[in-house]
Amino acid sequence: MVQYLPRLDAAFAALSDPTRRGILERLGAGDASVSDLAASFDMTLTGVKKHVRVLEQAGLVTTKKIGRVRQCRLGPRRLDAETAWIANYQQMLEERLDSLGEFLERTKGSES
Amino acid sequence: MSASLKEPAAGVQIGKAGEREIRIERIFNAPRERVWRAFTDPKLVAQWWGRGREMTIERMEVERGGHWRFIVPSPHGPQGFEGRFREVSPPSRIVWTFEWDGMPGYVAVETVVFEELGDGRTRLVTTSLFHTIEERDGALSSGMAEGVADSYAALDRLLATRAAP
Repeated sequence: MVQYLPRLDAAFAALSDPTRRGILERLGAGDASVSDLAASFDMTLTGVKKHVRVLEQAGLVTTKKIGRVRQCRLGPRRLDAETAWIANYQQMLEERLDSLGEFLERTKGSES
Repeated sequence: MSASLKEPAAGVQIGKAGEREIRIERIFNAPRERVWRAFTDPKLVAQWWGRGREMTIERMEVERGGHWRFIVPSPHGPQGFEGRFREVSPPSRIVWTFEWDGMPGYVAVETVVFEELGDGRTRLVTTSLFHTIEERDGALSSGMAEGVADSYAALDRLLATRAAP
């Protein structure tokens, strides 16, 4: 178990960033090249590469150079897309409840 | 976007009842009837569910077995969310399933409980239970189980940090 700890820390840090969670979700739907990712997240190649490197170090993503294209896929841990999805879900839900709170404040007294 | 709430009509509490459960409690400065309406009237839902983004409610049949489907714009294109109502018990309880188009097959069951606090405020308790594909396929090998434990350990840490003030 102990040998997992550094990796868990890395995974945790990797998952703390919304773009990286987005990348994991995207890869959950299928492998993608760095430039695919750059296009779907509207980021520079350099920016995406940085994120991919963090994910790779955490063991959440593996990459492979095929010709001039760097292909990314989830792994080696199979279930990380789900973890990312749950983490993302949690964040969405919290934001949604923030939004509900703001809505209720905003509309106070204006309903019949 | 997701500005965190500065003044809290909401206390956030994140606990964990099961390995695959996320529980969030909030207290809203509004009577239960209003909170219930905000959740069940599509015209009102459209004003907050999209987290500040203009969303489309394609379907919302608030009754047992009824479908719901919402489209929310995002920087990566429109995102679809959908599910079915499993229970609608006004004004205290809703259970619905929740799926995101981006992760088809990953289903969460959300239970929302509306508790009147008696002072014009309402406590909302949201419990989300995740059903995994692995579970449904019955393919939970021991190696996979380890992976699950690993994943959830990472998730726990993530949630614990978020819960910290």
